[in-house]
Amino acid sequence: MTDQNWSILIPEIFLFIWALFIFGLDLGIKRKNPKILGYSAMAGLTITGILLAIFNGGILFKGMFQSDQLAIFFKVIFIGSAFMAVGSSFDIASEKIRHHRGEYYGLILFSTVGMMFLSSASELITLYIGMELTTIPLYVLAAFYKDDKLSVEAGLKYLIVGAFSSAILLYGLSLLYGLTGTTDIVTMKINLSLVFLSYGKIGPGLILAMIMVIAGIGFKLALVPFHMWAPDVYQGAPTPITAFLSVGSKAAGVVAFARIFVNGLIAFASDVMKPLDWGIIVAILAAAAMILGNITALRQRNIKRMLAYSSIAQIGYVMVGMVAASELGIASVGYYMFIYLFANMGAFTIATIFNDKTGSDGIISYSGLSKTSPIFAAYMSIFLLSLAGIPPLGGFAAKYLVFAAGIQAGYTWLVIVALLTSVVSLYYYANIIKTMYFSAEEPTIKIHPSFPANLVLLISVIGIILFGIFPGPILDWALESAKIFAF
Amino acid sequence: MLQYLALASILFAIGIFGVLTRRNTIGILMSLELMFNAVNINLVTFNKYIGPDNLTGQIFATFVIVVAAAEAVVGLAIVLLLYRNWRGIEVDRINLMKW
Amino acid sequence: MFNTFFPILVLIVLATIIAIAMATVSVIFGRRTKGGAKGEPYESGIKPVGDTKERIPVKFYLIAILFIIFDIEVVFLYPWAVIYNKLGMFGFVEMLVFVVILMVGYFYILGKGALKWD
Repeated sequence: MTDQNWSILIPEIFLFIWALFIFGLDLGIKRKNPKILGYSAMAGLTITGILLAIFNGGILFKGMFQSDQLAIFFKVIFIGSAFMAVGSSFDIASEKIRHHRGEYYGLILFSTVGMMFLSSASELITLYIGMELTTIPLYVLAAFYKDDKLSVEAGLKYLIVGAFSSAILLYGLSLLYGLTGTTDIVTMKINLSLVFLSYGKIGPGLILAMIMVIAGIGFKLALVPFHMWAPDVYQGAPTPITAFLSVGSKAAGVVAFARIFVNGLIAFASDVMKPLDWGIIVAILAAAAMILGNITALRQRNIKRMLAYSSIAQIGYVMVGMVAASELGIASVGYYMFIYLFANMGAFTIATIFNDKTGSDGIISYSGLSKTSPIFAAYMSIFLLSLAGIPPLGGFAAKYLVFAAGIQAGYTWLVIVALLTSVVSLYYYANIIKTMYFSAEEPTIKIHPSFPANLVLLISVIGIILFGIFPGPILDWALESAKIFAF
Repeated sequence: MLQYLALASILFAIGIFGVLTRRNTIGILMSLELMFNAVNINLVTFNKYIGPDNLTGQIFATFVIVVAAAEAVVGLAIVLLLYRNWRGIEVDRINLMKW
Repeated sequence: MFNTFFPILVLIVLATIIAIAMATVSVIFGRRTKGGAKGEPYESGIKPVGDTKERIPVKFYLIAILFIIFDIEVVFLYPWAVIYNKLGMFGFVEMLVFVVILMVGYFYILGKGALKWD
C-alpha cells in the first residue's frame, strides 16, 4: 500500500459527493426554488476545476488511475462541457423537468465523474467502468422528457445502441486481455511487442480484437458506419443533453481511443503491419465520416439533426489527427476538442434557448433573427463559422493543426478528402447564417436568455475568438499532454 | 480452453442475432445480457489459463456483471416509459424519427 | 442366466400387452365427452379464475427494478468476504464507504416515495 497518492482522486470524489448532495437537496427543498439546484451544480463543477488545478500529477492503485497531463487536459474539457450543459439548462421549459431538476443536474455530474475516471484510466477495467459511468446516466438523461415520445424514443435507441456497442467493446477488451495476459495498457504494449518480435506477424485474434474495439468506441464516437443512432438521439434528447453528448461523451470516446490505440496498440499502426494496421482502418472510417456527415447535413431541415450530422463530420476531422499517431497528432486532437467544446456548446445553447421560446427546431424558423436579436444572431454566426473553420476563429487553427499532423504522418489523401468536405460543410453552415440575416420574412421572435445561458454564450464566444487568434497557450498545453505517450 | 471460447463466441453470436431480430424490447434486453455473459465466460476462461494466482479477469467479470445489471435496470425503466407512451413495447412501432 | 431373467421378460411382455389392451378397449367402448369439466386445467380441482395473462400492477415491476440493483451490488461483498482477513482495516473502511453509498441510494428511493404501496 505504499506509493498511494490519494490526493489525486480528490476532484472526482468531491464531484461525486456533490452530485449526491444535489440529489439530496432536491428532496430537501421540495422543488420550491429550482434555480438553486442549477447554481449549486455549476458551483460544484467550478470547485472541482479548482481542486483539479491543486491536486494533480500522480499514480494511484498501482497505475490503474493516473492523473497525467493528458487526463487533466481532457478533464478540463469535460468539466467545461458539463458546466455549459448545466448553464444552458436553466432555459428549458420548466414544466418539462419540473419534478426532476435535482436528478437532471445530479446525473450530469455523475456522467462527468465517469468521464473524468475514463480519462485517467491507463488500464482496461478502469476504462470500462469509466465509460459505463459516463453512458448510463446519459441513457436516463436522453429519455428525460418522460411524456415526450421523441425523447423516450431517443432514450431507447441510445440505450440499445450503447449497450450493444459496449458489449462489442468488452468482447474486444476480453480478447486483448486474453492475448496479452494483462489489463494494464503499458504492459500490454510491451507484451504485444514481444510477441510480434518473436513471431514476426500478428494473429487473427488480435485483428478481431482491434476491429471490435474500434467498433465499440466507434459507436460512442458516432463514426461512420456506426453513426445511425446519432441523429435520432440528438434530435429527441433534451437539447442541453444533446450538447453534452456531442462534446463530453465524444471527448471521452476520443480519450479512450487515444489510450487504447495510440498508447497500447501503437506498434500496430506502423508500415510493417500494412494492410492490417489499425491506422488504415480508422483512416477509411474517418474519410467515410467526413463525406457522409457533411453530405447528409446538407439536406437537413432540423437544426439538431443538422448539428448531429455536422458532429459526425467533425469527429472525422478529429480522427485525422488520431491516425497520425504522433505528438503533433494527439496535440491537435486535444486542441480540436477544446475549440469544438466552445463552438458546439455555444451553437446548441442557442438552439436550446430558441426551442424554449418557440418550441421549434426547424432551421427555417430562425429567419430574421438578426433583426430582433442581433447579438444572438452574431453569436450563432461565430459558432457556425468556427465549426466550418473560417479564420481567424478557433476552428480554423484546429483544422489547420489536424491537417498538418495528417500530412506529416503521410495521410495526404485523407487530408485532401478533409479539405474538400470542409468546403461542402461551409455551405450548410452558411445557409443558417443566410436564413438569420437575409430572410425576407418578417421576424416575430425575440429571445431573452437567462443569466447562466448568457454566461455560457459569452464564454464560448470569447473562447473561440481568443484561442483562435492566440492558439499558443492551449497548443503548448496540448503538446505537453501528448508527451505522455512515448512515440 | 478452446471449447469455452467457442461457447462464448456462440453465445455472443446468439446475442447479436437476438438484438438485431427481436421485436420485443424485453427480448432485446435479454439478448444484450447474453452478450455480456459471453464476455464473462471469455474473461474467466482467459483468467484460468493465464495465471490462476492472478485474478484480474475474474474481477473484470464481476464488474461486468454489476454494470450489466445497472444497464438492465435503466433499460427496464425506459421500457416502462415506452409502455406509457405507446401502449406497447414492440420496437417496430417506435419509429417517429427516420432519416 | 436366461432362467434367472426369464420371469422379468414375461412380466414386461405381459405388462405391455395388458396396458395396450386396456387402452384399446377404452378407445373402442368408452364414451366420448367434450367440454365441461374436461376442458379445465384440473378436472376435479379448484375452478380457475380469469386468464393466465393477467396484468400485474406496475408497482411490482418497479420494486423488481429496484431490487435488481441492490441484489447485484452484493456481488462485490463475496470476494471481499473471502479475503477479509488479508485486507484488514483498509478493506473494511473501503467496503463501508461502498455500503454507505448504497444506503444513500436507498434513502433517496425512500424519500422519493418509490416504495410506497398506494
